[in-house]
Amino acid sequence: MLQYVNVSIDGAIIRAIKGATVLDTAIEYGICIPHLCHVPYLSDIGSCRLCIVEHVVNGRSKITTSCTLNVQEGMVILTNTEKIRKLRRNIAELLVAEAPNSRAIQDIAVRCGVKEVRYPFRNADCVLCGRCVRVCAEVWKAKAKGFVGRGKERHVDFPFGIRPDFCKQCGACIQLCPMTIPPCDGPMKPGEERLCGNCESQLMISENMPGSCTWCRLGEGFACGRYV
Amino acid sequence: MPRLNSFRELEHLRQRLLEERRGLTTTVLVCGGTGCRASHSGDLIAAIESELSQQGLEGRVRLRATGCHGFCEQGPIVIIEPSDIFYCHVAPDDAFEIVSQTVARGEVIERLLYTDPISGEKVRTESEIPFYRQQYRRILSLNRLVDPRSIEDYIAAGGYSSLVKVLDKVEPDKIVMEIEASGLRGRGGGGFPTGRKWRECREAPGDEKYVICNADEGDPGAYMDRCVLEGNPHLVLEGMMIGAWAVGAREGYIYVRNEYPLAVEHSRIAVEQMRELGLIGENILGTSFSFDVKVARGGGAFVCGESTALMASVEGKVGEPRPKDVHTAVDGLYHKPTVLNNVETWANVPAIIHNGSAWFASNGTAGSRGSKILALTGNIKNTGLVEVAMGTPIKTVVFDIGGGAVNGRPIKAVQIGGPSGGCLPVDKFDLPIDFDILSQAGSMVGSGGMVVMDEGSCMVDVARYFLAFLQDESCGKCVPCRLGIDRMLEIVTDITEGRGTLKQLDLLEELAETVAETALCGLGKTAPNPVISTLCYFRSEYEAHIVDMKCPAGVCKALITYWIDPERCNGCGVCLQSCPHNAVTGKKKEPHMIDTQLCQKCGICRSECKFDAIRIV
Repeated sequence: MLQYVNVSIDGAIIRAIKGATVLDTAIEYGICIPHLCHVPYLSDIGSCRLCIVEHVVNGRSKITTSCTLNVQEGMVILTNTEKIRKLRRNIAELLVAEAPNSRAIQDIAVRCGVKEVRYPFRNADCVLCGRCVRVCAEVWKAKAKGFVGRGKERHVDFPFGIRPDFCKQCGACIQLCPMTIPPCDGPMKPGEERLCGNCESQLMISENMPGSCTWCRLGEGFACGRYV
Repeated sequence: MPRLNSFRELEHLRQRLLEERRGLTTTVLVCGGTGCRASHSGDLIAAIESELSQQGLEGRVRLRATGCHGFCEQGPIVIIEPSDIFYCHVAPDDAFEIVSQTVARGEVIERLLYTDPISGEKVRTESEIPFYRQQYRRILSLNRLVDPRSIEDYIAAGGYSSLVKVLDKVEPDKIVMEIEASGLRGRGGGGFPTGRKWRECREAPGDEKYVICNADEGDPGAYMDRCVLEGNPHLVLEGMMIGAWAVGAREGYIYVRNEYPLAVEHSRIAVEQMRELGLIGENILGTSFSFDVKVARGGGAFVCGESTALMASVEGKVGEPRPKDVHTAVDGLYHKPTVLNNVETWANVPAIIHNGSAWFASNGTAGSRGSKILALTGNIKNTGLVEVAMGTPIKTVVFDIGGGAVNGRPIKAVQIGGPSGGCLPVDKFDLPIDFDILSQAGSMVGSGGMVVMDEGSCMVDVARYFLAFLQDESCGKCVPCRLGIDRMLEIVTDITEGRGTLKQLDLLEELAETVAETALCGLGKTAPNPVISTLCYFRSEYEAHIVDMKCPAGVCKALITYWIDPERCNGCGVCLQSCPHNAVTGKKKEPHMIDTQLCQKCGICRSECKFDAIRIV
């Protein structure tokens, strides 16, 4: 039998399933917390840090990722404070400056309220969200790819750089990759990267109505909890 | 040696060892710590050993290769007991003199004594040296009592009596209460109350629990854990065993980095010796307590000093931190309750049990009790390991113990707590060494690394150095740490190379705050500290780089030019010959010139010039 606990998310008292994460609970109740590395059927590693929330304990708020935080009785969570919005915007800005050539990342940036990018663009191919690595290891039990290197050198690769036999090229990793969705106007040429903002008109609503889900295409594209 | 099956057998062994050693008249202590080994104390030990046997003194004199004495700058150090004569900078060639004069006849060799730099007088014993006088050496002073390779030394010096005490008559719950009452806080960086951690682990459900000793010390310039583990491994192991008994663990790990070969070797020898004596294994000393220790070697990743990354590494996984929404005291190694403490924290435990929590708490401030080992390095006269009571002002450490600036330039700042610590300017030197006060000031006690900088250091360059270190050592898992540090480094590099703008300074501040708030683990959360603290206390230097395009300290190469003062240059031609880029021109006996187009700003000419004619502008 399922057990329930009462938690407060943005002031709303929610009856959440015991053992669920704050992010899953919030999405289930229509409170959209932006996220990138979270996929509902995979384990959470808390690497993109977009789903940060304020967890208020004894009057002191602690910033943590909602995908790795399990609900507990009486928990107080704030997902959309001034502070969180600012931090989330800065993280999204870092991401979009690193990899502007993805519709998904561009949309996340707009969703998090990035208006300008203050860093030089880099046009990387991977943001190391780890979705591919986890789907390969956890769903298909193949472990055909993993993270290699540390810090700046970190990248996703096959063991020893050679595609092993047990990789059946099922393509599950490609389906979940946020970099496979190109911007609407086609891929940007090196040196011409910009903040796209085409979907801004649609997504601007979200900023005025904090916490609401706009059923953005973003989620449909790569397995937002609402579309699964 | 036979296995010890009861407390009485251990006590008998201790008495027997003391009896055997009664015949010794003199003990020669030679520092075999890493610092002194680098200045050939290994050869010195061999030389003294052969001298002793040649002069037939083996029976009466004992040679003991000890761990670090702390004053590494003066190494190799030799102390002759019982008269406590302290020799420094001893070379292997001095062995004959030391043995024939000091050991055999008790004469002091003036030449090898330490010279007080202020009064210029020769100092005979350790306790009279200003470097040692201001210290409060609780842990480091034990180093000289034992040879780290000999469990007999440790037992003869009263070792394992705290373990006997807790196994014999202290309830595990009482031990935790005693540690809580002592106010001991984690010495590895976070400063988490040790007692509370033990309590949490003790109360966590599950039979299988672990204790871990974190000896993965990777801060540039810090080596206190190394010296404690190298110099006195049994002290750390005794602390771990008391902790294991208190929380109910049966297995422990010492996680030590492989770059510390001596620490690995000594801890392995120590574990082997203990196993032989039955001090680890099943039913230790005839009690119901069973405990085993394994030595796990780290591959040299800085991030593996973080608790969850360390545990992943021990498990054989990639050393990456994981979110710690549940403390590791409840969900740690193999998802079992685990107590992870730093080397120095474990080393404090036996003394607390032996002397009581009130004794430990009698020193220090309200929030931080006991003593702290600091690694004093940088532009300072006396470098080495320093142990002071908590609450000692920074200026005492820097000026009284450290002896002040080394090359005449005034001291500008001190960086406390390793790469994640902050830089404090001279006007903050009144602050005490205290976990809470230092973190309020934007720095931290951290692991205890203390780098002193004088006017010749550029604070922007210092921030750049630490960011580059952390960018290399970040595991790259989370976005704020991987990309945030990278972008901060990009901005700071821009500033040091003269491309910075004032707008970037605000961005840097905002980014630093974001990384500090949102990063996954302690490494990322503290990584912006060097930037935040230098921006707070040395903002004018950043502005000088951006607005005036000048590096006030003359460090940032893109913003300086070398210039020969024609009034001082007498045309000796040394700089002309030494310049690897042929940038210096001029005739003999006439003032020379530097071609700024060719000059690579290597600084060789400046160091070669005897007339101080080459200036940085």
